[in-house]
Amino acid sequence: MLRNVFTKTLWDARRSLLGWMIGTAAVAMMYASFYPQLANGAMEEAMKSFPQSMKDAFRLNDMTSAAGYLGANTFGIIVPLLALFFGASTGARAIAGDEESGQLDLLLAHPVSRARLLLERFAALAAGSVVISAAVLGALLLIRPAAKLTGVSAGQLAAQCVNLALLAVFFGALAICAGSAAGRRGLVFGATAVIGVLAYAMNSFGPQLGLEWAQKLSPFYYYIGGDPLRNGFQWGDAGVLAGASAVLVCAGLLTFTRRDINT
Amino acid sequence: MDAAIQLTGLAKTYGRRRGLTGLTLDVHHGEIFGYLGPNGAGKSTTIRLLLDLIRPSAGTARVLGLDPRADAVALHRRIGYLAGDFVVDGRQTVRECLRFLANLRGNGGAARIGELAERLDLDLTARIRSLSKGNRQKVGLVQAFMHSPELLILDEPTSGLDPLVQHTFLDLVREARAAGQTVFMSSHIMSEVQAVADRVGILREGALVALDSVEALRERAVRKVEITFAAPVSAEEFTVDGVSDLAVDGTVLRCRVSGSPDALVKAAARHTVTGLLSEEPDLEELFLTYYEGGAGHAA
Ligand SMILES: Nc1ncnc2c1ncn2[C@@H]1O[C@H](COP(=O)(O)OP(=O)(O)OP(=O)(O)O)[C@@H](O)[C@H]1O
Ligand SMILES: [Mg+2]
Repeated sequence: MLRNVFTKTLWDARRSLLGWMIGTAAVAMMYASFYPQLANGAMEEAMKSFPQSMKDAFRLNDMTSAAGYLGANTFGIIVPLLALFFGASTGARAIAGDEESGQLDLLLAHPVSRARLLLERFAALAAGSVVISAAVLGALLLIRPAAKLTGVSAGQLAAQCVNLALLAVFFGALAICAGSAAGRRGLVFGATAVIGVLAYAMNSFGPQLGLEWAQKLSPFYYYIGGDPLRNGFQWGDAGVLAGASAVLVCAGLLTFTRRDINT
Repeated sequence: MDAAIQLTGLAKTYGRRRGLTGLTLDVHHGEIFGYLGPNGAGKSTTIRLLLDLIRPSAGTARVLGLDPRADAVALHRRIGYLAGDFVVDGRQTVRECLRFLANLRGNGGAARIGELAERLDLDLTARIRSLSKGNRQKVGLVQAFMHSPELLILDEPTSGLDPLVQHTFLDLVREARAAGQTVFMSSHIMSEVQAVADRVGILREGALVALDSVEALRERAVRKVEITFAAPVSAEEFTVDGVSDLAVDGTVLRCRVSGSPDALVKAAARHTVTGLLSEEPDLEELFLTYYEGGAGHAA
């Protein structure tokens, strides 16, 4: 378990990771389980008076189909925001957290290069993101028959969960990149979370504000814009998220290997 | 052979704050080098430069013949380092922590964990969070010594240790030298450095103000002298080179002498001397004069 920074990071995070898995999966399951009550049109009825722009923003146009419901509800708000906060907090801890607490000195005085430390921490974050998304997928597959969500196939759910993992990886990479420049955990977490929430808003409201281009800058667009719950795997979107994460990690490597480690 | 540590004009500024102002210093292979200086002198700055944790503003450093930045990984394999404030994640046990650090070093990294823990009386099964400050420092010592590195770089290694453990620590350092390892250690305490070091460097405000062997420092140090004469003497006769804090009380003269006592002895020789008492030179005092920016002999 303690062979290298990658496994050690996961091992040290085992409790928190378990918490994230159970928490995120439980939230996803809970939201999904309301579907039978709302699918009979009650929801549609209740939202009739909502302005169309709001329905567009929150993907509320089709709340009766399983894919529409999950896309608006489970995968529309709470689960991606949890993924954002997982990425931001784990990424902020990866470099900035250890630097602030003074633990980075010890690791870097060992035969571990700065680049390797950063990459192994990032790999651990990516593994965590995958595990959390897999838990969400597992939970939804489990509840799918009972919650009458069989309109969405296992493959379509998996497609959305792949994008969910990549969304967490993206915000993790953003936090690692920020932490590589400024070794202050609170600052890095705060900045990443604020950017994440703004990006969420940009994806939801961009088109209404006539800012289609702004929507396309938001990682949330690549997470759900292609509607994987209906269209299955969106490899192009997934590629954008993965590519952007790689760019952020490379930028982090450049700054982190050049600067002083603070005490 | 190259020096173990070779610093040439090494300088570091933190923004506009001074860290180190042009340090030139060689530490020889196989010696114990004591690195002394008051708070904020730049000891930790020097040490963190050697480990490539921070980068110099000017000058160069070679450590074991390697460049701290370009050859960081290869170099760190051969170094044991104890930080001035040793911090590790408190949730793990001592054994878990040491195993992990040893694994980062690969083969033989863990060779001495058991032996060192026993000598330092460190409980390997304890959670680090539950350890006292001194016991946590022991974890730091074990990880620095456990792989028998060629070069030990220790930043205030004895801080927080009780006298008994300090003693064990000094033994470990002597054994390291006997095994051919080089030790570079910083400290505030002259006596512990004096006890083991071959050479001492004293740093003040980012610059080296003294660099010498412990022997030579001792010769230069201030000693208290008390001379008893057969008949009363007057103080004026004894205001000679190297004498300070002179006090004559009838037939008894008390003073402090720095450097050679020759002038004092020659002045005293004009009278009949019935007693002469000279204390072991006090390096701590010499050290304090350097600390306060007094008239030290610059290296
Ligand atoms: N990260 C930093 N940013 C700004 N100034 C710094 C930083 N680190 C050290 N300094 C300054 O550099 C000087 C030297 O500090 P250093 O920590 O090397 O002293 P030291 O000799 O180790 O002191 P101590 O005995 O208290 O450990 C101090 O004036 C300190 O304020
Ligand atoms: Mg210090």
